[in-house]
Amino acid sequence: MKRPDPVSFVVNPRQRQFEALTRAHTGDLYRFAYWLCGQDALAQDLVQETMLRAWKSLDALREAEAAKPWLLTILRREHARLHERRQLDTVELNEGIPEHAAWASPERHGEAAELREAMSKLPYKYREPLLLQVLGGLTCDEIAAELGQQPGAVMTQLFRARQQLKSIMHGEHAEVQHGLS
Amino acid sequence: MDCLEFRRRLGAEPHTHNAELHAHREQCASCSAAWERVQQAESELIAALEIPVPAGLAERVLLAQATGARRQYVRRRGIALALAASLVAAVGGSLLWRQLDARTLPALAVAHMPDEIRSLDLTRPISAQAIEAGFAVRGLQLQGPLPADVTYVHDCPVGPYRTVHLVSRVGNISVAVLYVPGKHGGVARDFHRGDWRGRVVQLQHGQLVMLTDQAGKQPFDAVANTVAQDWRVAIDGLGGPRVSQL
Repeated sequence: MKRPDPVSFVVNPRQRQFEALTRAHTGDLYRFAYWLCGQDALAQDLVQETMLRAWKSLDALREAEAAKPWLLTILRREHARLHERRQLDTVELNEGIPEHAAWASPERHGEAAELREAMSKLPYKYREPLLLQVLGGLTCDEIAAELGQQPGAVMTQLFRARQQLKSIMHGEHAEVQHGLS
Repeated sequence: MDCLEFRRRLGAEPHTHNAELHAHREQCASCSAAWERVQQAESELIAALEIPVPAGLAERVLLAQATGARRQYVRRRGIALALAASLVAAVGGSLLWRQLDARTLPALAVAHMPDEIRSLDLTRPISAQAIEAGFAVRGLQLQGPLPADVTYVHDCPVGPYRTVHLVSRVGNISVAVLYVPGKHGGVARDFHRGDWRGRVVQLQHGQLVMLTDQAGKQPFDAVANTVAQDWRVAIDGLGGPRVSQL
């Protein structure tokens, strides 16, 4: 009789589910966390805390499709909790991002870099729904449910977020406050 | 859908699959061009947000989770082991206590009574000769006057002890009396086991166990005092211990 593979025999389904979840979503969570808080170390901490909380309540996750919105919800709560505990310092984007081959590509100084800088200056109330849409892949209705707002209000925020990004990039709103906080 | 609504929806949801929006795009060249520009801008935005993920982040998360899970497992296992050890100790202690308790004189006396339960129903006093003969079987000679109302005598083995089993009546209560010659140690004590009330008292050369299941009729303390005093006098003698070996 064939003996079971010792590794798969030992690792239980819950653990396997968590590992798959981690490998599938850590990247997206990190990017979301980074653009939320603007700090590399803090973003990594947020991802770790999020995943550890997800592990504790993994049984609440019934469908694989719901995993990403579920994790984003946990991460947003963790971020809010952190924010309550301490006032996060405002950090310039260039100080927070580590050097990386892809990051240090020529486009660093091109339009992508300008977009990233503009994103870092986008006020939080516009940045959060925009991140949920672009990085999280959530629809307007899902964002509205996540933020506890009306879908119409979210649509307006998303529209204005993109308008403001353009304005910041074109230097039309020099008075725009630094957004990452 | 008009152009204004189209631009508003497009600015909020560039990737929408809204049928009305796409129908308008097919019909309006200006909005179709706007749609192309927005798609291009959206692609640039997505690319800009795609910052590099720190190497090994997922592995560090998994390591933290596995370490925490293992720590919890070890803690739970420790608690389970401690509980199991407590349970074993409790069960073992209980068994040991039962075993030790079963060897005590009160436990042996109570365990002996079902075989002799009819003796408590006897009411006719037996003769002094019969009582003396009962003690003589154990090689004992009584030293004082006998109690007045003794209804039963027999040489009974009780556990490891060779006893003289008597029944004394006080009023309308029958009290079983077990004299255990040669047993020493311990102090006088009362006991209560099931329906049985009893008392153990130390005499000079042995112990006297008195017990009855009729204690409700009279206060047991007074009955036991009377019986103990009667048999102390009979066995040890008046004014001091004088029971002697034949």
